[in-house]
Amino acid sequence: MRQRVSRREFVLGTACALVAARTTRALRADLSAQQIVDRIRANVGVPWKASSSDGVKAGAVTTPVTGVATTVMATIDVLRRAAAAGQNFVITQEPVFYALNDEAGNRATDPVYLAKKAFVDEHRLVVFRFADHWSARQPNDAVKALAGALGWSGKELAGADQMYQVPETTLGALIADVRRRLGLRGGLRVVGQPTLTVRTVFVSPGTTTVPMTTAALRRADVIVTGEPREWEAVPYVLDTWAAHAPKGMIHIGRVVSEEPGMQACAKWIKSFTPEVPVEHIASADPYWSPAS
Amino acid sequence: MTAQQIVSRIQQKLADLKIAWRAQTVDTFKAGSPDTEVKGIATTGMATFDLLRRAAAAGKNFVITHEPTFYNHTDQTAALEDDPIYRAKQQFIKENSLVIFRFHDHAHALQPDPLVVGSARMLGLTQYASPTEPRIYVVPETTLKAFASDISKRLNGRALRVVGNPDMNVRRIMLGPGYSVPPLTSSFDLSIGGENPESGGNAEYVLDAAALGQQKGVILLGHMMSEDWGMKEAADWLRAFLTDVPIDWIPTGEPFSTPA
Repeated sequence: MRQRVSRREFVLGTACALVAARTTRALRADLSAQQIVDRIRANVGVPWKASSSDGVKAGAVTTPVTGVATTVMATIDVLRRAAAAGQNFVITQEPVFYALNDEAGNRATDPVYLAKKAFVDEHRLVVFRFADHWSARQPNDAVKALAGALGWSGKELAGADQMYQVPETTLGALIADVRRRLGLRGGLRVVGQPTLTVRTVFVSPGTTTVPMTTAALRRADVIVTGEPREWEAVPYVLDTWAAHAPKGMIHIGRVVSEEPGMQACAKWIKSFTPEVPVEHIASADPYWSPAS
Repeated sequence: MTAQQIVSRIQQKLADLKIAWRAQTVDTFKAGSPDTEVKGIATTGMATFDLLRRAAAAGKNFVITHEPTFYNHTDQTAALEDDPIYRAKQQFIKENSLVIFRFHDHAHALQPDPLVVGSARMLGLTQYASPTEPRIYVVPETTLKAFASDISKRLNGRALRVVGNPDMNVRRIMLGPGYSVPPLTSSFDLSIGGENPESGGNAEYVLDAAALGQQKGVILLGHMMSEDWGMKEAADWLRAFLTDVPIDWIPTGEPFSTPA
């Protein structure tokens, strides 16, 4: 404690009042990144897997946390905004180093990779990946949050996971509504004809597998999802048309589909981390289309 | 000639080219009887139900497809047995005595890879191929916006997606059809491919490079808009040694629309 006080006095003695304020707050809270990770694990409600994508991808877990930022994808822009706001603990759903396992691989000497690593080090950020366990939670907050962003809160079909009963519409009208509500640019792609009648929608942020797709379309008219594979769920939905049992699929991109979920994640983390600010940093549809 | 005899001729041709048939491969019969007498061959990017209808209508009862028929890489069907769409597709195949064979691993093993050749040709890149660097194309300097508009028109694709500053200069391009979208590095400007996960790769790299003042781009054509054309090359390759049966390329086509 004595050592900490003297460090605090040293910092207060410098001209940088902002840094001093943040350091003081962190010392008073005495909350490390590891302690927040422990709280996440204690609250997530599913057993922590021995092997998963989740974990600290950059920075030291012993770092005192001044603020937490949640985000879908920890780009350099997101890290800069987090650092500027004093949020030195960044919780990202998607990778930070351009690979699903966050290994540098062939990019170990790449200038973009090195610059990103250097930024994390210079600003003493800690980056934690939180994907597998966040998606495994029941009920799934990411589904509820995306449905909420689409205006369907309270329209859950009883006894049917991820299924929403929407006011009767057409696929064409639904697409326009989804585009507007989520601010989509080039990332929106659709399988199916606009005249299709829609009453029931399956909401699946991230991706949707073939087993999920075949099961969901027994009941739903349309699936709203992030990025299904084009040799799996996509041809299945295409084939519903040739089979004269037509269904639709609206792709909104992974980042856009997970955005409301990570917004909800910030609130969830705040609920058991009252000592420090917890905010969400938004990303946008990364794509544009040459046609528009 | 039966479908099995045609496959044997393909295997013999590959052997002549010193390409060994793999013990582990997805290139197998997916539906129909290999003993079926073949009236005509259709090559295509993916054996969708709609494609099968068009092939049958054109009198092509042997479909050689690059991608799966039954919605997963190894065409496992056990979990689909009760599925109404799967059953309708199987029923159609049976009623029309179609035979479906996948030509994926060994198509990519050909030198040059017909999937790359076909994609480059459709994109107008063939003449710009680097003589020394595989899959690199060096084009007269243009902008990402101009280049993307040009290839969008060439492919008549409805759902091309681009990441990167539209005004950036493009000169060095790397092409990888299908799922093998080239990972961006400092050695080229623009990566073009079919489909890839949005996270953990090029999109994030483009955004980060831009934050550092470096201009990079990626164009995702969609899986079919990048590989359908390669099966046209495959049809040409087959026609050279299978002269006694009509062979046509029937494009699977763009699966997506992008309504406003």
